[in-house]
Amino acid sequence: MNKVFCLYVPGDSLLHRLGVGWKYAVMAAMVISGVIVSAWWFTLSLLAISVILVLLTAVPPRFGLQMSWALILVAVLLVAYQSFTGKPLTGVVIAGNLIMAVYASRMLTISTPESVLIDALISAASFLRVFRVKPEKVGLAISIMIKSIPMLLDLFTGIQQAAMARGRGRNLAAIVTPFVVRTVAYAQETGAALAARGLGE
Amino acid sequence: MIEFQNVSVQVAIPQAGGKNSSKTLLEGINLTLEEHRVAVIGANGSGKSTLLRTINGLVAPSSGQVSVNGLDTVKDGKKVRSQVGFIFTDPLSQLLLSTAVNDIELSLRAKIKNRGERRERALALLAERGLANTAEQSIYDLSGGERQLVALTSILALEPDVIVADEPTTLLDLKNKFLVGRALASLEQQLVIATHDLDLAAKADRVLVVHEGRIVASGVPQNCIDYYWELMSK
Repeated sequence: MNKVFCLYVPGDSLLHRLGVGWKYAVMAAMVISGVIVSAWWFTLSLLAISVILVLLTAVPPRFGLQMSWALILVAVLLVAYQSFTGKPLTGVVIAGNLIMAVYASRMLTISTPESVLIDALISAASFLRVFRVKPEKVGLAISIMIKSIPMLLDLFTGIQQAAMARGRGRNLAAIVTPFVVRTVAYAQETGAALAARGLGE
Repeated sequence: MIEFQNVSVQVAIPQAGGKNSSKTLLEGINLTLEEHRVAVIGANGSGKSTLLRTINGLVAPSSGQVSVNGLDTVKDGKKVRSQVGFIFTDPLSQLLLSTAVNDIELSLRAKIKNRGERRERALALLAERGLANTAEQSIYDLSGGERQLVALTSILALEPDVIVADEPTTLLDLKNKFLVGRALASLEQQLVIATHDLDLAAKADRVLVVHEGRIVASGVPQNCIDYYWELMSK
């Protein structure tokens, strides 16, 4: 289910030993430069680097480079749409940047325990105290967001399959409406879980 | 000690034309719960979950007052929630982080500032519950019973005085039901549990039967369970 970010895999690779701040910086630099430069050759170069970085974590390639069908579908649709509008290379850039961002973030999550990631985020967000924002809340919010993505992808797949089983697989409203309703319900449940643990108050 | 003083809960239901009607979820509840283990039984939609959620302030009474150890669950909500741990039916709703050990660390974050100590304590708590092998696993890869036990461990890490559990065994198979049931039975804390499992309810010190938002029976487990059977077979 968790095929987007992958979980931490204990190890002793170069990336495991590298400070979390450096890894965040590399990831941010790759994602931001990919968007700013927006050239197919640059995106493909970054994609190759991100694949090498995942392999440098020393996890089995099949595990590190796996990709969820939902993401592949989104990437294919992006290229198809841009090709249809006469800009196939733009499609390559957008889809390539998306996959590169997933691999770059995966390099981070595979080689860094989640608690270290949260602590680093809290530390980086400490300047927000000036605006009366608690950095702990920022760290927690991002952690919950990361945990929720595979959950929501799974929810979407389940609803899509239920719609297909009733012969309504091509009806967008039959998929999107229950997805939105259940996502809101999930958000409310998460809010209740936070309140029940005295977090976020 | 948990006290309900003339507690009612109503919710507004939007109607066509912009007018709201109201639905009563709980009505005129007066209770004092001092027993170690209290089971709440009743049909779906009878008001069990609402009753439980008023105990830690997740639902505020429309009228009346709920207090835990003398603290009002609305006015002193934050203090009450630090004393009352709540276990949800679906542990996936309750577990906030991706792995068991990280989720327990999250509960410990306020009490233990040192990362290394926190992790050690989280691992020790998991080991105490026989969950050491689940520590680094994704919560999505755990069995239903393991998830519910991790959720319980996360709550116990907060060291609450009272545990409130809302149908914690409903989604579990028989083996996991026994596992979670045993873990709940071994708790030192006061336990208030809503359940459809009448065998689990029979082991409580006191049973409450909720029907259409009211407590219709309260007392010795067997008498209340017999009453519930009768009520449901009508």
